[in-house]
Amino acid sequence: MNTYPNPFSEAISYQRMEQYDQEHLESLSNISPMTRTQQPIVTGTSVLAVKYKDGIMMTTDCLASYGSLARFKNIERMIKVGNSTIIGASGDMSDFQYITYLMDKLMTKEYNANNGQPLAPENIYEYLSQVMYQRRNKFDPLWNALVVGGYQDGKSFLGYVNLRGTTYQSDTIATGYGAYIAQPLLRNAVEKKNGELFTEEEAKKLLDDCMRVLFYRDARSLNKLQRATVTAAGVTISEPYSLETEWGFAEHIRGYGA
Amino acid sequence: MSSIGTGYDLSSSTYSLDGRIFQVEYAMKAVDNSGLCIGLRAKDGIVLAISKLVHSKLLVPKSNKRIASVDQHIGMVCPGLIADGKALIKRARAEAQNYKDNFRMPISGKMIADRMGQFVQAYTLYSSVRPFGCSTLIATYDSVGPSLYMIDPSGVYWGYFGCAVGKNKQIAKAEIEKLKLNELTSRQAVMEVARIMYSVMEDDIKDRDYEIEYTWICDESDKKHVEVPSDLIEEAERKAKESLDDDDDDDMDDE
Amino acid sequence: MISEPIPTAQPARQMANRFDPYEDNGGTTMALAGEDFCIVAADTRQSDGYHINCRYAPKAHQLSDKTVIGTSGFYADGICLVKRIKQRMEWYYHQHDKVMSTPALAQLLSVMLYQKRFFPYYCFTILGGLDEEGKGCVFDYDSVGNVERVKYQAEGSGKELLQPFLDSQIGLKNRATDDVLDLTEEKAIKIVKDAFSSVTERDIHTGDCVEIYIIRKDGIECEKYPLKRD
Repeated sequence: MNTYPNPFSEAISYQRMEQYDQEHLESLSNISPMTRTQQPIVTGTSVLAVKYKDGIMMTTDCLASYGSLARFKNIERMIKVGNSTIIGASGDMSDFQYITYLMDKLMTKEYNANNGQPLAPENIYEYLSQVMYQRRNKFDPLWNALVVGGYQDGKSFLGYVNLRGTTYQSDTIATGYGAYIAQPLLRNAVEKKNGELFTEEEAKKLLDDCMRVLFYRDARSLNKLQRATVTAAGVTISEPYSLETEWGFAEHIRGYGA
Repeated sequence: MSSIGTGYDLSSSTYSLDGRIFQVEYAMKAVDNSGLCIGLRAKDGIVLAISKLVHSKLLVPKSNKRIASVDQHIGMVCPGLIADGKALIKRARAEAQNYKDNFRMPISGKMIADRMGQFVQAYTLYSSVRPFGCSTLIATYDSVGPSLYMIDPSGVYWGYFGCAVGKNKQIAKAEIEKLKLNELTSRQAVMEVARIMYSVMEDDIKDRDYEIEYTWICDESDKKHVEVPSDLIEEAERKAKESLDDDDDDDMDDE
Repeated sequence: MISEPIPTAQPARQMANRFDPYEDNGGTTMALAGEDFCIVAADTRQSDGYHINCRYAPKAHQLSDKTVIGTSGFYADGICLVKRIKQRMEWYYHQHDKVMSTPALAQLLSVMLYQKRFFPYYCFTILGGLDEEGKGCVFDYDSVGNVERVKYQAEGSGKELLQPFLDSQIGLKNRATDDVLDLTEEKAIKIVKDAFSSVTERDIHTGDCVEIYIIRKDGIECEKYPLKRD
């Protein structure tokens, strides 16, 4: 192979090349791969939900924490989607607000289509599950555990989906800390009923009792909560309310610095 | 119309000698051929209505809707070339969603009317495109209350208390002007719209198959753009037909 | 002239906690092939660590009149895989005007799993059904598409407990005598039920209920058999 003299050889400064290499490599060593949501920042704790006689009942508290700081104390963690579905969220609240936006976008599209076939809770749940799973596939998850409750055409629906797209449907669902503390209580109550469904009053009491225990034991919870129902009459999300608590026993605790 | 046929009407990118753009004016003629379309702004909402010929018995009744929702709080109807209207509705939906993407709140009536006005106007500037063969009525209910806009094929738009587009629009406008729209409720407005529709279109449609579509956006509909409840439509149309018969009777008496 | 050694790029700082896209939802599946039938069974528990998410989240899915698939491992991947297979089967049906055979599905499944070789579906799949000659067939997969046609197979969280049992009862391995297996449907179902009851006793990720699909030439039957819920 012939080699030809480089007519620009004079112009090449090895000094400058060296300097360039050095700067270039230094800048390379400072960058890290593109980062996406790697951890939740402002978070909500448990969501509890049960099926009952008239449909679905769901509860969340109104707290959004920043680490251990009780950062926002008047947050709504349940949203109404259409007239027969609610979504309750634990996990990252900014991701949940994005999901709220996605739902609005979806429902606006449906509204405009005006085809007389409203999306059923199952449809909204499937859509949401696909979004969650696709985002995990992109390594850019929406950091939430979501509960979808619905009631349409005399049928109750209760489903769960999380940041990895894992899904299941069940008569009782509890996310986050509630999965440890409330879920056993909920299942116990269901099994005691022997196949019969809760009345509205029973469901209310059951969820309130669970939320009370969670308030006692979950350090990221707040005694200000909301209750939502989905029934044939539609979706209602209550105003925030508080539960009666009893701290008298604390006096008798000895040890642990008391 | 002395300059017609002198070559200045072939493109909307060229003015005629007396400063007009004929293509835009022709587009307005296309609108005039449409079935009558009425929009009324009552004190608590807006009513939209359009009459349309059903050109085939094979069509499913009440199918092929002409009035569309752009968002929950925006209704839109485009009398004129149907396909052009569909394109405008598609654009309006994109604008409304785009606004939400950016600002996370619903677009105001003023904004959507302005954006659609600009869009329509852009189609009067180039020789490569044809102006839209339809006018656009936009009914909205936002934080400032109910408002009604109408956009011309030229892109010009105004807010209205009431407007009429299409066949016999002059007679309809004269009727609308008699109304005290500031005092009317939306329910009453539906009655008036039906009455005007029937009194105006009677002559040319009488023996042919037609449908009238009514939608509203008002307090009663929860500030959402929806079809007017069918019982109200029935009542309005019944009364409209009765008043027509009365007129006929009056005519008979006169003779 | 290069005077100093050029510093090499440092590896990027290790991320403290990288998002882990996988979850192990457990569950046990098995299949066995008879002469003219096939059985596919999977429990219905879905778990996440020590949690029981749900007592009825089906892992076995009927794909056609001749094929059933069972997946365990990461539930979301399993569901996605099944959904995509059903889609491909529908396209196949419209293109060729016939239902995809079990061996064809088996090959397709392998390809689909291998396509995600570098971001695998984290699920352990068994495909069971009747082949084109009407004989029972079972295909066993790893998560990246390695496939093997077998007589019987266990997969999932309970496979270490289940497979030796099947080796003994169906494979008749390590026997002193020359036993001959006459595997009737009834016997097979009994073995499956015993197998799942036993696995449930020792594997916390298996339980609640087992769905047993019996695939015969004249159709598929699904029997639900309750398991311990503890």
